[in-house]
Amino acid sequence: MKFRTQFAAATAVTLLLVSACGKPADKAATPTETAAKAAGGDTIASGLGDATKFSAAAKAVGLDATLGGPGPYTVLVPTDAAFGKLPAGAVDTLMKPDSRARLTGILSYHILPGTMLAADIAKAIDGGGGKAEIATMGGGNLTATKDGDKIVFTDAAGTKATVTAADEKRSNGVVHMVDSVLMPARK
Amino acid sequence: MTKFLLAAGVAALAVSAPALAGPGGGHGGGHGGDQHAQNAGEHGGGGDKHGGGMKQEMRAEHGRMAMRENADHGRMKGDRVRMASRHDGGRSASRMNDVVRMRDLANDGDRRGYQSGYGLDRRSLGLVDGCPPGLAAKHNGCLPPGQAKKLVGVALPSAYARSMLSGPYSNWYRDDQRYQYRMGDDYIYRVDRSNNLVNALIPYVSRDYGYYPVGQMYPSDFNYYNVPNQYQSYYPDGGQYDYRYGNNAIYSLDPKTQAIQSIVALLAGDLGVGQQLPQNYGVYNVPLQYRDRYADSATDMYRYNDGYIYRADPTSRLITAVISALG
Repeated sequence: MKFRTQFAAATAVTLLLVSACGKPADKAATPTETAAKAAGGDTIASGLGDATKFSAAAKAVGLDATLGGPGPYTVLVPTDAAFGKLPAGAVDTLMKPDSRARLTGILSYHILPGTMLAADIAKAIDGGGGKAEIATMGGGNLTATKDGDKIVFTDAAGTKATVTAADEKRSNGVVHMVDSVLMPARK
Repeated sequence: MTKFLLAAGVAALAVSAPALAGPGGGHGGGHGGDQHAQNAGEHGGGGDKHGGGMKQEMRAEHGRMAMRENADHGRMKGDRVRMASRHDGGRSASRMNDVVRMRDLANDGDRRGYQSGYGLDRRSLGLVDGCPPGLAAKHNGCLPPGQAKKLVGVALPSAYARSMLSGPYSNWYRDDQRYQYRMGDDYIYRVDRSNNLVNALIPYVSRDYGYYPVGQMYPSDFNYYNVPNQYQSYYPDGGQYDYRYGNNAIYSLDPKTQAIQSIVALLAGDLGVGQQLPQNYGVYNVPLQYRDRYADSATDMYRYNDGYIYRADPTSRLITAVISALG
């Protein structure tokens, strides 16, 4: 019931924030009640916690609705420190309205279909001769390898992101925290 | 596990028998999300996949389809899987004991081999180089959106009449009493049964396009209620937002301005019955609540995509069945 109250409140706020000229609200659309029920009460969106930059970026492009929806998805969440490793000004540029398409592509590159636990990924790596190609919702692939017991994802440009906290299970998927921001190939 | 083959005719009769018939194929495909994910039909498919730069070879299947009923109901009890005969286009489908009729293509000797692009072999439709005569093939299909839009409101071209949906689309959009869906030239055409006119245009998945950014107006060419079946109960029109599928996602729109407000679901469109499981789906990704029933084994492997769990043969990697995993 608490969730429903929050849902209703958020919905009202969203309505107020949607301008007449069609610009998106500052707060992304909340899912329908049916979708919220299917997503469960402990969603990826609600559990981003300290990953404030990823959370803000997701909200900026409306992907918080996906991360609060039924899913399930596996989300590689870069820590705030990971965003800090990007070139100076990069995050600010990506957060501008003109960069929404690019930012959506970057964030969706961190979202994988279904629920992939660390053990699932490790098993595929072992079965694949030391690496596993993984489809992302952004369209490109990531390559997963192991560094000792840790899983490492490599993007199209060769940037590596190591899982620093694995298997944070949510009601609509699972989160793995990573220490770098991965970048899809430019389209 | 008991398995047996059904001849296509027998299967068609079986699935269309009144006692076994599902809920009429639902009423969706139109407005209001009154069709539920449980109506998952399935068809073979073929496709040229852009994702990850990886071209996937997919198979079409025609004519005599060997079908196998997986009678291991105990393993799948409680899930909802549908099997539909393809050749009548009528989506006659059945649900048996909450499950579980799966098409098995592994032993289908009448498949016509590989093709590119979801759907039937375009040459089999009388097309030239994949396009109707006189039209040069474009990067994104034969018809630019402006031309394709002109098909809305007119009778479906005869070349598309038998072009049944395949790949993931056969589950996303199913014929019902109100609409038929056909595909061609990178679009899905929704045909109103009452007058046989195309009344909606739906774009194929294209992982090359990228997502529409929030704030952008949803493209008018595709602005119909087009949410795939498995998500319709979650995202119906008529409420606070409109919902539209396009460019690999479902978007919420401001009902008045049609500006995109958020992305409520991402869709990959990567898997479909009849195609081979892509190499980039090597990681087991079945939702946790289904893992006790759909665990990889020496004889079966399972992968999740866009609201469905797909079963594939570990050796051939051919996807042989689809299971609803939403709702």
